[in-house]
Amino acid sequence: MSQDISPSTAFIDGKPFLFQSGETILNVVDRHLGRGHVPTLCDAPQLEPYGACRVCSVEVALQDGGPRRVVASCHTPMAPGMHIFTETQKVRRLRKNIVELVLTDHPLDCLTCEVNGNCELQTVAAKVGIRKVRYPEGENHLDRKKDLSHPYMTSDLSKCINCSRCVRACDEIQGQHVLSMHGRGFNARIIKGMDTTFEESPCVSCGACSQACPTSAISDVFMSKSIEATNKTRTVCTYCGVGCNLTVATKGNEVLSIQAPVDAEVNHAHTCLKGRFAFKFYNHKDRLRKPLIRQPDGAFKEATWDEAYEHIVTNLKRIIAANGPQAVAGISSARCTNEENYLMQKFIRHVVGTNNIDCCARVCHSPTAWGMQKSFGTGAATNSFEDIGYTKCIMVIGANPTEGHPVTGARLKQAVMKGTPLIVIDPRRIEIVPYAKYHLQLRPGTNVALLNMMARFILDEGLVKKDFVEKRCENWEEFEAGLRSLDMDALEKITGVDKELVRAAAIEYASSEAAMSFHGLGVTEHEQGAKTVMLISNLAMMTGNIGRPGVGVNPLRGQNNVQGAADMGCQPHQGAGYFEMNDIQVQKRYSEFYGTNTPSEPGWKIPQMFDNAIAGNLKALWLMGEDVVQTDPDAHHVRHAMDSLEFLVVQEIFMTETAKYADVILPAASFLEKSGTFTNAERRVQRVNAAVKPLEGTKPDGQIMCEIIQRFGHPQADYTPDGVLAEIAQIVPFFKGATWENLGEQGKQWPIREGGVDTQIMHVEQFARGKGHFHFFNWQESTELKTNGTEFPFILTTGRILEHYNCGTMTRRTGNSEIVAKDLLAINPADARAKSINTGDTVKLFSARGEVELEASVTDEVKPGILYTTFHFPENMVNNVTGQGCDADTLCPEYKVVAADIVKVS
Amino acid sequence: MASNPVEYLPGKQPHPREHRMIFRNVDRAGWDASIDTYLNDGGYEMAKKALKMERQDIINEVKASGLRGRGGAGFPTGVKWGFIPPTNTKPVYLICNADESEPGTFKDRYILHQDPHQLIEGMIISAFAVKANLAYIYIREEFPHAATIVEKAIAEAKNKGFLGKAIFGSDFDLEIYVHRGAGAYICGEETGLIESLEGKRPYPRIKPPYFPAALGLYMSPTIVNNVESLCHVKHILQMGGAEYAKLGTPNNTGTRILCVSGDVQKPGYYEVQVGKVTMGEVINDLCGGLKPGRTLKAIIPGGSSAKVLKADETYKLKDGRELTIWDIPMDFDTMAACGSMAGSGGVMIMDDSRSMAWVINNLNKFYQHESCGQCTPCREGSPWMAKISDRIIAGNASPDDVDMLEQVANQIEGKTICAFGEAASWPTQSFVRKFRDEIKSMTKADLAGRIVNEETKLAVAGLEA
Ligand SMILES: Cc1cc2nc3c(=O)[nH]c(=O)nc-3n(C[C@H](O)[C@H](O)[C@H](O)COP(=O)(O)O)c2cc1C
Ligand code: SF4
Ligand code: SF4
Ligand code: SF4
Ligand code: SF4
Ligand code: FES
Repeated sequence: MSQDISPSTAFIDGKPFLFQSGETILNVVDRHLGRGHVPTLCDAPQLEPYGACRVCSVEVALQDGGPRRVVASCHTPMAPGMHIFTETQKVRRLRKNIVELVLTDHPLDCLTCEVNGNCELQTVAAKVGIRKVRYPEGENHLDRKKDLSHPYMTSDLSKCINCSRCVRACDEIQGQHVLSMHGRGFNARIIKGMDTTFEESPCVSCGACSQACPTSAISDVFMSKSIEATNKTRTVCTYCGVGCNLTVATKGNEVLSIQAPVDAEVNHAHTCLKGRFAFKFYNHKDRLRKPLIRQPDGAFKEATWDEAYEHIVTNLKRIIAANGPQAVAGISSARCTNEENYLMQKFIRHVVGTNNIDCCARVCHSPTAWGMQKSFGTGAATNSFEDIGYTKCIMVIGANPTEGHPVTGARLKQAVMKGTPLIVIDPRRIEIVPYAKYHLQLRPGTNVALLNMMARFILDEGLVKKDFVEKRCENWEEFEAGLRSLDMDALEKITGVDKELVRAAAIEYASSEAAMSFHGLGVTEHEQGAKTVMLISNLAMMTGNIGRPGVGVNPLRGQNNVQGAADMGCQPHQGAGYFEMNDIQVQKRYSEFYGTNTPSEPGWKIPQMFDNAIAGNLKALWLMGEDVVQTDPDAHHVRHAMDSLEFLVVQEIFMTETAKYADVILPAASFLEKSGTFTNAERRVQRVNAAVKPLEGTKPDGQIMCEIIQRFGHPQADYTPDGVLAEIAQIVPFFKGATWENLGEQGKQWPIREGGVDTQIMHVEQFARGKGHFHFFNWQESTELKTNGTEFPFILTTGRILEHYNCGTMTRRTGNSEIVAKDLLAINPADARAKSINTGDTVKLFSARGEVELEASVTDEVKPGILYTTFHFPENMVNNVTGQGCDADTLCPEYKVVAADIVKVS
Repeated sequence: MASNPVEYLPGKQPHPREHRMIFRNVDRAGWDASIDTYLNDGGYEMAKKALKMERQDIINEVKASGLRGRGGAGFPTGVKWGFIPPTNTKPVYLICNADESEPGTFKDRYILHQDPHQLIEGMIISAFAVKANLAYIYIREEFPHAATIVEKAIAEAKNKGFLGKAIFGSDFDLEIYVHRGAGAYICGEETGLIESLEGKRPYPRIKPPYFPAALGLYMSPTIVNNVESLCHVKHILQMGGAEYAKLGTPNNTGTRILCVSGDVQKPGYYEVQVGKVTMGEVINDLCGGLKPGRTLKAIIPGGSSAKVLKADETYKLKDGRELTIWDIPMDFDTMAACGSMAGSGGVMIMDDSRSMAWVINNLNKFYQHESCGQCTPCREGSPWMAKISDRIIAGNASPDDVDMLEQVANQIEGKTICAFGEAASWPTQSFVRKFRDEIKSMTKADLAGRIVNEETKLAVAGLEA
């Protein structure tokens, strides 16, 4: 029989199917006949093929009628013309026998097992025709003890079928290498760390192993694989700018557990412990459930929503009437959705009538937005997370991805473990450093000096991509002249990094086929923050690393929606869609759109708001989900500002340090209770879907904003996520093609053109601003160090850890606080010795502003003279110590450089 | 090489039917493992010669020689070398497999102990031919002494400039490192070995995609050869491939070392031309016959993984020959045609004093202990085989158990990640098929149909033929 066999046709049980080269037999069967048609045990879509259980065996003939062979379909590539037989007597018997063998060593308690009904072993056993399993006496592993040591992770290895999926998940997804198989043959068993418990092991509780385990052998305290749930909702994590997709399992109005969707482009079945496990805050007893109004005696009194709104409208109107709209300001939150940020700025700008709107991007990535706009024309990542798979060189500057952006961090680590060279520029020996080819451990505050050195070396080595620079960029001559004027020996001293090391790293970056940089707050939260961003952009431009797969400048966004908050116009100088507010045409366009007068007076940035409050110019402040007292630098100053206000409205889910100063507190809903969109660090606008109804008495922030706009007498429809998104799409050009419908499960990366076409890589043909602009800046010592450096000889730098998020209001109310319960102060051993400090001692950390007490952790992750701590716990209030220094261009606070000193307390 | 007659230590004279080439210096009088001794004997001349040759010419000589791997599978060495992708840009590695742990095999250790420079010379030539600048000798953990000797030999060679940078004044660099094995049989399986060398558990890799010649050590092209195979390369260069191929028989060329153990008068190692001696000659001539008053019962001809041959069998071959066990020439092809394999050269002779049930139980226990545990059929099946044969020799088995033993083996063979699956199941299958009656005679008929314990019950449920 002659058949026309095109190169990509193979036959499954006699029927022709198309496949792509590189697909395994199982891939093809799964795609055409459904997952489960061929049973599997050791295979999981998020893992590499492994070939261990052999239940996926099929018979294969290379051609019609040819001799047949049994192969494991999960790792055997499909070849043209192959004939696959999935259900022969032979493979059926084989599968059945394998599963029977597995079951001889598996407990008998399916009915009481937490994964009953959702156990892959159960499913496969049924599929291969084992209806009744009689359970043996004799040699088995049923006596293995459960491990319930950890706040989240659990194991009951008597249920283990040795498929190694957990080991591979830990290796291939998280890259933590906690789990391994110990012993051989029948004695092989899963161990954690050096054969210890989850609690004692180096596990970072990402949960990848538990999600990958086909049985309940490794699971979690929320039993995320059980069939308890009656509903599952896909949404987006609120804890960082990676924007992991989550599947939230609920029953009634209760969240039971969270898993990561396998098909999520952002996180491919992965999360960190915050996304997967830190959700219990949402119905914590501390949640605010009633509006509160401060009484003349200073106490809060519960109120109805109507009373609270009434109180707000009266007071704001009074203040506006007396002092003009400029006496009012709003600060929105990057934790809230695009829609909520949009509505907040709409309210402040177009209803109240002032440009005094800012958001917490001010304190993190405002220099990125500013700097990249200056260089490229857009303040957003040029490329996508997917590009990590294509890049040939990774440069991480002032970011600690494995802690701050864990899922991206894990992805970076995987690429680096597979051989992609990594350059780390960071004052600390962060977790990823041992994997790096170069660690340029510079003194905090010298980013500009170091990046200038790199640029100069690239120039000297003749590695500048001249044609790219000529065709696509401008102002090269000035930049080149600036570089030539540098004194490299002086810069070497300033940065404290060996020149030759910098040269080698520069050569690595510049000569790579495709080099990709990632930066974080270690770049922006400096006096020269925006300048540093522009220098990173320079490096990318001079080496042609723009507009292709695997290249670019990619800020790792701190909060989940920092990108979105700025996109939506929560900055004083730019409205929704980044239109310059001082441009008359822009004012006109907005006025027409909103039917109100658009303010022309420049607005205040957050630090200016505080100053003006103290000066008596700012009377009323509205905070949506921001705890400025705990998170903004120099807490004394912030408290003073709060005290000076006439009227403070706080929209919050918990009684924060800031809320304590409020006149009205509006109880808001958390991300699990609201719908809208978040935009992640790769410009991906993703749908957030309410998994549960708002807690009794609370309202989503979007609804609150709509209702307040209505009460101000401005036409405003009731809140719906699709409705507000449609409004945004009309005014924000790069959202033009976005609709609630077409965002779909994966979201879309802006610019989203009409018809929903999105953008993975920016600046492909030309830069958003036309030509890429080179800027040259000389390094300058931070004012903080110049002023206070002699009196306070240590440099304190601050950051965040994996387990906690920002001021910790959410994570501290979850099991995460059992894992990490306080902020620690990292001190180099040499310094500790000189001050007789040991790990565990309490030390006083003090600066020109104030002092705090912290527990010491003596470690060489910091160089001598450098101190490091986090800011998650109000008990510690590290921001009592941080200063007023800030980025000259954007006023982003200089959290990363504080002149400080320490002394042992006990 | 100097061709003065070689004297051997008293009592260690090779048998006249032997053809000593690889073992030429084993037990040689006045011989030691030092480089000077080796050089005095004309050593390293072939390495020098090779470095002046075209790489492809060396590979062609090896192909022409017909050399087949001595590690077990008998795969043609020259063909294997040719599998390195021609477009390769990654480094190439050469690995000498000195894990020698197949029960019944004890040849490589003598080379390591007594003639390490022969191996190093073979490796220099091979490494040069496949363009490897880095080579490893993976030595079985239980051979600590061998590791010391080989390390010393490498240091000597390095001192002389035979290893390291620009060796023998050529532009070729080569480093050889000794890596101590991880103490498991599976470390000898080439992809398990590679994992082990990378510092991991020796879990064999799935093939496809991880064929070592393309994706081996550190995911780079890697050639793994047995100690003895690599030594042959030196002699191929010395004699020329065509001349070498005249040794032995067509397609079964050269010499090989037989490691004879079991019930013979003089067990030991014998280097013979492949296929030029028969099984009967091995037993009667080389090994001085069976023990007095005993008759032959069975032979495992190629290491413990090979299928057993039964003394009274006759083999009808496709080419018309009809052979008894005594007539089988000790080569690759005939041994395969007779249903077993020449394997690693370990010949185990069993006479009528041996209980076949005991033998298979012993083998089952070895494979149970050594299964790496990665894939389910082998991890779960190997202990089952041991459990069942335990029961048989304890007299607690029913006749059905014997059939079940075979069925378990059938469900492992060909269904696993690595060839250990075959290694574990072939002995069981062949012993049960060929000695079913004897093994059944150890079971109790009155236990027939009776389920001995719950485990059996389950097995019966699942393991129907
Ligand atoms: C379970 C198992 C154990 C093995 N052990 C050894 C060994 O100890 N030594 C060896 O040379 N080959 C051993 N092999 C064969 C190797 O995988 C490989 O085929 C051989 O080293 C190739 O060398 P050759 O081509 O020179 O024979 C083993 C194979 C299997 C499946
Ligand atoms: S939770 Fe994550 S880090 Fe911990 S063992 Fe599992 S995969 Fe590894
Ligand atoms: S714990 Fe789960 S995933 Fe890990 S080997 Fe056992 S069954 Fe497989
Ligand atoms: S990596 Fe970020 S987005 Fe993903 S789960 Fe963790 S905190 Fe959430
Ligand atoms: S066949 Fe046996 S030894 Fe080989 S990989 Fe599988 S379990 Fe390991
Ligand atoms: S699914 Fe293919 S071997 Fe396990």
